[in-house]
Amino acid sequence: MAITTTLTGTEKETVKDPKPGMLLKRTMEVFVNLAYSVSGFGLLIALWYIITVASGGELPSPAATFTVFWDLVKDPFYDLGPNDKGIALQLLSSLTRVFTGFLLGSFVAIPVGLVMGASNIARRIFYPIVQVLKPVSPLAWFPIGLVAFQSAADATIFIIVITSLWPTLINTAFGVSSIPDDHRNVAKAFGFSRWKYLTKVLIPFSLPHIITGLRLSIGVAWLVIVAGEMLSGGMGIGFFVWDSWNALSLEKVISAILIIGLVGLLLDRGFAALEKRVTYAA
Amino acid sequence: MSYLKIEDLEIAFKTPKGRYVAVQNINLDVDKGEIISIIGHSGCGKSTILNAVAGMVQPTGGSVLLNGKKVKGPGPDRGIVFQNYSLLPWLCVYQNIYQAVDAALKTEDKADKHARVEQYLKMVGLWDHREKYPKQISGGMKQRVAIARAFAIDPEVLLLDEPFGALDALTKSSLHIELLKMWNLTQRSKTIIMVTHDIEEAIFLSDRIVVMNNGPASTIREIENVHLPRPRNKKETVNMPEYKVIRERLLNLLVDKVVIDDSELYKEEQAA
Repeated sequence: MAITTTLTGTEKETVKDPKPGMLLKRTMEVFVNLAYSVSGFGLLIALWYIITVASGGELPSPAATFTVFWDLVKDPFYDLGPNDKGIALQLLSSLTRVFTGFLLGSFVAIPVGLVMGASNIARRIFYPIVQVLKPVSPLAWFPIGLVAFQSAADATIFIIVITSLWPTLINTAFGVSSIPDDHRNVAKAFGFSRWKYLTKVLIPFSLPHIITGLRLSIGVAWLVIVAGEMLSGGMGIGFFVWDSWNALSLEKVISAILIIGLVGLLLDRGFAALEKRVTYAA
Repeated sequence: MSYLKIEDLEIAFKTPKGRYVAVQNINLDVDKGEIISIIGHSGCGKSTILNAVAGMVQPTGGSVLLNGKKVKGPGPDRGIVFQNYSLLPWLCVYQNIYQAVDAALKTEDKADKHARVEQYLKMVGLWDHREKYPKQISGGMKQRVAIARAFAIDPEVLLLDEPFGALDALTKSSLHIELLKMWNLTQRSKTIIMVTHDIEEAIFLSDRIVVMNNGPASTIREIENVHLPRPRNKKETVNMPEYKVIRERLLNLLVDKVVIDDSELYKEEQAA
């Protein structure tokens, strides 16, 4: 036993005092990755410039677009009435809708997924429904939302709810149904109550799968919100894109595309970090 | 009436190819505090018998009686050590034991449960590692946690399913000693049934060794009594004449061909 303790002690010290070379190596790696990304975007901008020149100025040039982009992000919070708001306010409005719909959808998807994964009967009842409804574009639900809620804004949230359902539901069900016999046997042998089985075995085991489902859901929801707001109008980043097109400002449209992409990336990274946190190594 | 009675046990499984009988005609009486090993080749149904005692599988014929009562399912009077540790990877060492204790001993106070976990973790020498997760400890340590977990619910019967199969020889030896130590610390009152395919392990630990026939539909071939004195000590025990006799007998029962036919080789050597 004494030997084991000493060994562990040494391990701890190594973790506390990383070798000075390690830090340098990590910094180098970050710079190299950054250099690759920058050259990728350089290529994209060069291509963009060539197309601008080739199309005789139909497509706004990178430089003109960046001027507009800068104007947008310089003062993101201005509010000059219902048809003229800063980009941050538009984003905030879209994100609020996305998260409202996403949370409502997840509240339905996770429990149903747990039940579907745990019970063969539930799976056989619900799975055909999921298979039929999953491939439908959430936008097709928009009219149903309008009738149900009598409001375009609520109908937009409704389509996000529908969008958020499927990936989370399917992943949760898969996670639950793939629980190994070993874990189930422990619960059985030691007489775990239903509640203990749920909270100490089933949910911790399926959590990485559930989070993966949530990550896919939020990604699709962010795709759908832009289209949804083009239909619903009023406010949000999707509306902003459509409004800019009507005002014939392709510079604003391209800027919005860039912003939508960046926000989507951040959302994905956030959930990826969460995924990493709940993943356990067997 | 014996303490643990296995009577005309038959266990069969439904398979796509039809009914598969794993074991049949199993009769065994076990006294309280006895250590029994079940030994046999892979697929001879030795784990199946253990699972029937555990209540994890239902017999298709005959019965298992513990204290005169028919075993119908798992219960806190039987602690199980599984083949592959079966710790929950998202719980630390302490919690792995605590959750089992908490589930099995429903009426006990919280403080008593915590005291129990501490006692058994110290007994297996893992108190300092209580906050580690299963992936952070070695196979031997994982098995110690699994043994501590089974002992901690204070069962009357301990069921060990090839508990040391995945460990190296040195770790295995030290865990044998540790198991006997824990058995001694509980006044040798706990009945232990262990499944193994290691002859030396079976002799060193057991009072009796149940040798199985090969499956399918395997039965008990023979039961060997081990009268080696306790407390047993690895070095002395293996040199006792009786140890060698039993080992020889078990080898004959389990290994069909003990000697490799190398007479051809000798002929060539002699010719050369």
